[in-house]
Amino acid sequence: MATSADHAAPAILNEVNPPELPRAVLVENNRSFTWITDKICGIIEGKTPAWWWVCFIVACFVASFTVAGITYLVATGVGVWGHANPVNWAWDIVNFVFWIGIGHAGTLISAILCLLRQKWRTSINRAAEAMTIFAVVCAGIFPVFHVGRVWFAWYLFPIPNSNYVWQNFRSPLEWDVFAVSTYGTVSVLFWYVGLIPDLATLRDRFMAAGNKLRATIYGFFAMGWRGSNRHWSNYEMAYLILAGISTPLVLSVHTIVSFDFAVSLIPGWHTTIFPPYFVAGAIFSGFGMVLTLMLPLRAIYKLEDLITQYHIDCMCKITLATGTMVGYAYAMEFFIAWYGANPYEGFAFINRAFGPYAWAYWTMITCNVITPQFFWFKKVRQNTALVWILSIFVNVGMWFERFVIIVTSLARDFLPSSWGYYSPSIVEIFTFFGTFGVFSVLFLLFIRFLPIMPMAELKAVTPQADVHGGENHH
Amino acid sequence: MSNSAKNAPGSFPASSPGANRALAVGIVGIVATAGGLLLPNNTHAVAHSWLVGVTFWVAITIGMLLMTMIHHIFDASWSTVIRRQWEHGLAAFPWLAVLFLPLVLATWFGPRDLIWPWMNPEHVLHGHGTVANDILYVKKSSFLSINMFMGATAIFFTVWIWLSARLRKASFTQDSDGDLKWTRMNRVTAAFGIPLAALSLTFAAIYWIKSLEYHWFSTMYGVWFFANCVRGALAISVLIMLWLYVRGDYKGILNTNHLHSIGQLMLAFTVFWAYVTFSQYFLIWNANVPEETFWYNLREINADGSPNQWKYVGIFVLVFGHFLVPFLYLLSYKHKIVHSKIKFIAIWMPCVIFFDLCYNILPALKNEHGDALPLVSVNFIWTITAVIGVGGIWLYAYLKSLPTAKLIPIRDPRINESLLHHE
Repeated sequence: MATSADHAAPAILNEVNPPELPRAVLVENNRSFTWITDKICGIIEGKTPAWWWVCFIVACFVASFTVAGITYLVATGVGVWGHANPVNWAWDIVNFVFWIGIGHAGTLISAILCLLRQKWRTSINRAAEAMTIFAVVCAGIFPVFHVGRVWFAWYLFPIPNSNYVWQNFRSPLEWDVFAVSTYGTVSVLFWYVGLIPDLATLRDRFMAAGNKLRATIYGFFAMGWRGSNRHWSNYEMAYLILAGISTPLVLSVHTIVSFDFAVSLIPGWHTTIFPPYFVAGAIFSGFGMVLTLMLPLRAIYKLEDLITQYHIDCMCKITLATGTMVGYAYAMEFFIAWYGANPYEGFAFINRAFGPYAWAYWTMITCNVITPQFFWFKKVRQNTALVWILSIFVNVGMWFERFVIIVTSLARDFLPSSWGYYSPSIVEIFTFFGTFGVFSVLFLLFIRFLPIMPMAELKAVTPQADVHGGENHH
Repeated sequence: MSNSAKNAPGSFPASSPGANRALAVGIVGIVATAGGLLLPNNTHAVAHSWLVGVTFWVAITIGMLLMTMIHHIFDASWSTVIRRQWEHGLAAFPWLAVLFLPLVLATWFGPRDLIWPWMNPEHVLHGHGTVANDILYVKKSSFLSINMFMGATAIFFTVWIWLSARLRKASFTQDSDGDLKWTRMNRVTAAFGIPLAALSLTFAAIYWIKSLEYHWFSTMYGVWFFANCVRGALAISVLIMLWLYVRGDYKGILNTNHLHSIGQLMLAFTVFWAYVTFSQYFLIWNANVPEETFWYNLREINADGSPNQWKYVGIFVLVFGHFLVPFLYLLSYKHKIVHSKIKFIAIWMPCVIFFDLCYNILPALKNEHGDALPLVSVNFIWTITAVIGVGGIWLYAYLKSLPTAKLIPIRDPRINESLLHHE
């Protein structure tokens, strides 16, 4: 209900005399709409580059480790993983939370930045959303195969069955089933709705180039998009609603993942800060993975005008902020473990820092708390190679965070007589290693066949798209 | 020029005669609260009430400090015209430090367990001997010592006052010289100030509120306090802006999009508050460990198992009043932009934050059975007078600061964007 007075330039503008502090442009070198379309579509339309084939073959080979690992597990039994008393949950749930964290971050980045009207999201949101879906696929492998007899995994859903087996609705693991499946569905929808205008662009371009097969395929998925006002109006509303739905959904999903641990009584797991701490960790790891994926793509496809230094700065700063939040949570956990004066809780944290898994704990602290502090420095943020290396540290650190939380608490719980030391089996290592291949295969296919950036949205943030002439209208 | 400002933004706003009235209200509130000391055996109740009053306004001022720094660190534009009012609000920190002094002096020179039982080693616990013999206290005695408490409180106020002074000085000076170095200085202040503010508000919440029942612990507590700080600051700043609009100062400056944006933030932080508060409650309820649940049990049932008043405060004031009502109300676009509508929720929110602080602080007042004294009792009067008293002084500090700087930061590099803020 904005009034006409809201739209008129206030009279006081004549009285203010601010200094100039130009904002960074989101598409550099004054690139035209055509250039953007050609640049993004060119990645799909051009000949498949040799590097892509090399990476794809290597990724397929790596993915075969997962296929071999889970095939062996199904044929032999879940005992081929290294779980044994007292650590009955280990790499399976570590890897699940690692991948689901990355998976949550993609939509979180995309949806929340959309709701916050952060226009710089346009260069990274498509790839972040794709990353989400592929990461959820990788995450799903672990709990599904951890059930042992995977053909009974459908028992996780409340489907009436002849054995009258009913789910334990009080278990957060059951909540995970609903949360992750709902999240996966909404993420795919969010991603797909965003793709529709760009798929139509590809359809039209392939049609014009005489490639009817690809035009038909892209046309099928473009669902008759014609770019009319009505289409755009409905599209914008649908996208905003999906962003609105995705935001609380993604927060709730990672909260429920944190409940997997926090609802228990295990020292080191039962702590009230877990929900926001896990969400901050997910954003942290998500930006880490986005940097890991996008910086090489930027270099290979020469996308410097679209993923500018400003975009890298923003991502680094958010990584710094969320890494510091995670550091706050680590510190608070440690402090309250002492302040609470519960000897078991206190021991759990001393054991983490100085026990047999101290190497993992300090790796986590180094990667998650110290590494992002380098992003305080502009020179570091401007060194793309260094940013990429630091983003790898973030990924490593977030895997170790889950390992530290899960394994150290279980390996030494209440009864010293049952303490143990967990080491993964070779099957577990292969299975996890292979998921990077699965992820890479899917991501490479995405790069090759779908527009890696939302062309229509990118055009909307160029100076040419600003009807006010690009002057101070943000 | 129907929307022209009564006071041009390039000039200084007129002094408000309300400043003296606010001071008078503050003094009356303080005197009325102090009057509670005349009643027999009422010292503890008055002291706890004073803690609620001071903490409430400290929370709002910390919220304004955080919002100012968040504005700078994000290089935000739309909130530039609002920021100036947050900066005036920061003028209250030195006054709040002074108003916290009675608590310090009373515990230092008076009965040590006036508010925080752990300050007196001879304090008798309900069924647990004395504090000095309490193993749970002994283990954390290096942190919960009176010297640490006093030193930490001095550090908290020093940090808040120092950060506020830096932010205000840079912003006000830029009005006259228009130098960009002040914008950069405020960004730097915000970059190191946000972690400092986060740590100080967390430990203030632990020392001042959580340690009232020092057996209890929760890692979420600082986050809960943070959520209340920001919600309170947003609500009070809406009231200030609407008052300035009615006075004529903000006509032509404040538009519906500013209110919409701030209303969206109020909605977001309503959800955030509910998220952290529910998570804390749920995880403790679900684990059902007595060393944690006793804190909530104290706020639900008496020793004989009968429900107490705090149970209904929890259900109706916190669940409905603090979350559901503002959540559903702020979903509406109209409620965020129509002055009378957003004013309603901007008054509502500080009220429920006040009750939230009461819920966290006042049950520390117990009867001989160890049951929490009820909210609605003669003690509640002192809580209300304390909030009004400290509020009067807070408002006085704000109003005295108002004419010392230009109405809006007219030479802030983002002021044009803010004045033209649109969806």
